[in-house]
Amino acid sequence: MLDYRLKLAKRMLFNKKGSLIGAVLAVTIGILVIHVNFVIFQGLYDAIVRDITEYRNGDILVTDESNLIEKSDTMLVNWFSRIPDVKAAAPRFSSNGEINITKNGGMIETNRIPLLGVDPIQDIQASSAHTTVSEGSYVFSHNSIVLGSNIVRDLGDVHVGDSIEVGVVNRWGQDEVRRFIVSGIATSPGGQGLDYSAVVHIDTLRDMLDRKGYTSSIMVKLHDPSSAENVRDLFLASFVNDDFVAETIEESAEQQLAGFRSGIAMINMIGYFGMMSSAFAIVTIQMMLVNGKTKEIGIMRSIGARRKDILVIFIMQGILIGFIGAAAGTGAGLAYTFYAKETKLSFNNSLPLEVSFDWPKIFQTALTSFGLAVLASLYPSFRATRLLPVEAMRYV
Amino acid sequence: MSKVLDIRNLYKIYGKEKVNQVTALDDVSFSIDQGEFALIVGSSGSGKSTLLNIIGLLDKPTNGTVRVAGTDTSKLNDGQISSFRNKKVGFVFQFSNLLSDLTVLENVMLPMQMAGMQKSREKATELLMAVGLKDQMKQRADRISGGQAQRAAIARGLANQPALVLADEPTGNLDSVTSKNVVKLMKSMCETLGQTFVVVTHDQEDFGNVDHIIQMRDGKAFETSMVRRVAT
Repeated sequence: MLDYRLKLAKRMLFNKKGSLIGAVLAVTIGILVIHVNFVIFQGLYDAIVRDITEYRNGDILVTDESNLIEKSDTMLVNWFSRIPDVKAAAPRFSSNGEINITKNGGMIETNRIPLLGVDPIQDIQASSAHTTVSEGSYVFSHNSIVLGSNIVRDLGDVHVGDSIEVGVVNRWGQDEVRRFIVSGIATSPGGQGLDYSAVVHIDTLRDMLDRKGYTSSIMVKLHDPSSAENVRDLFLASFVNDDFVAETIEESAEQQLAGFRSGIAMINMIGYFGMMSSAFAIVTIQMMLVNGKTKEIGIMRSIGARRKDILVIFIMQGILIGFIGAAAGTGAGLAYTFYAKETKLSFNNSLPLEVSFDWPKIFQTALTSFGLAVLASLYPSFRATRLLPVEAMRYV
Repeated sequence: MSKVLDIRNLYKIYGKEKVNQVTALDDVSFSIDQGEFALIVGSSGSGKSTLLNIIGLLDKPTNGTVRVAGTDTSKLNDGQISSFRNKKVGFVFQFSNLLSDLTVLENVMLPMQMAGMQKSREKATELLMAVGLKDQMKQRADRISGGQAQRAAIARGLANQPALVLADEPTGNLDSVTSKNVVKLMKSMCETLGQTFVVVTHDQEDFGNVDHIIQMRDGKAFETSMVRRVAT
């Protein structure tokens, strides 16, 4: 049988629909704000991590202290390919150069362009940079080049099939110029891809720099990113006598992500402050409920209700408000998260958010909100118990 | 006959400073036996409602003792007072004071549920049938007429078979026909169940012959008459 106190709490609350809706909305909105914040800011953070992982650093990035790995890239890639957790590994070589194109008798030149040398076969397995090529195709031969959309913009009207010159300064300080055919143009939402780089065949770049056999980094892609630390530790343990630096994505992208993380923490704090203002709204609404039920409290006391019973009735109202609000808020938050995930939500054509359901955080938010609602009902409930029956009956 | 209510040298003084003090009850003493139908009468401000509130443990006296069913109520703590009000005293107010969020039946069940009594629904149904509200049981308390609400309040007052039922102007808000019915109902409950009633009223005539009349005047009580109840 339903305890009479719960029945009374329910009836008294549900018969004051305005107060109920107000209190529930306060909780709901508090939770929804936290969910929306999480979807947007955590989604943005995860999207940046995703893009850095996919396009630049992989799940593990192997470099060495001089940024020039002398060991054979084939040997290193083969070493990684024997680890079951590793999906693929690919060597990359980085440098800077200048690009110029002659159009209509005039030459347009751009300086200090990041040049990225890739192995076309291995790179498409370890990275999804090739998927950002919106026109033409990825690097496929020793004289093909993929230009980032920003370089294309700087060079003016460049098209797939155009011939361009790329110049570098080799290891001996001599200028080395080669001619390339533009095989593709890369553009990515949010510009986290190769939009600011030019991509060529790794052997061509090595040749231009007279760095045969050298590699800047090995990009390692894992089946399960959570095993990154194990694979990293295994690699470092296997090459203790070398100067390798192996970093997980969190470590290699630390500089780019650190500021963002504090931003997220601040936004979360604002969300929790919002939740606390919801609690104040509940205090106000419950005080109104208590004031509106002064006569009823007097009646109940006169027919034998103890102070404890009155306290329980109003705390139960807080529990009901908290429960309904937490359920509605979590429901609305999940619906928004689902929508953002399914539609790959992005703002102003920026990078699509990497939306995930963080269940521990969802439960934590719902529980915190529920707890705050119950806590907020304590003071009004206590006030209700202080009413003397004879005073309360004067409201009759 | 045993005394259900025994009041000795009761004082109620409002205000702390002597100049502002108002003596609402001034050395009131009387007793009421089990099964009696007693009236407390008097003009407005004579102290009758204050007296009723103190008997019902809704208020505390400044001095004196009130024994209800043999218990000195001044010795009870807050929790015991609530339990005592629930089990030993039934209330009927001028404006019925049913809880509008509950049905008529639930209102009558409430004191029994507070007392942890089993089968409260069956008992409440019996009581409501006895006061003639069989058809209104499932209606919300604020959807019934004043007379019906007062009958329901009487049923609620009788729910835990209290030692005495206190009624504060129970007919004060009713028309004359309904008033007569409510008085008749209370008297019949007194007759058939042997239930003690203490009724505050300013209109003695509505109640006809009763066992006991306490006349209140300026805070003092005068037992002006002791008459035999005539069956109505």
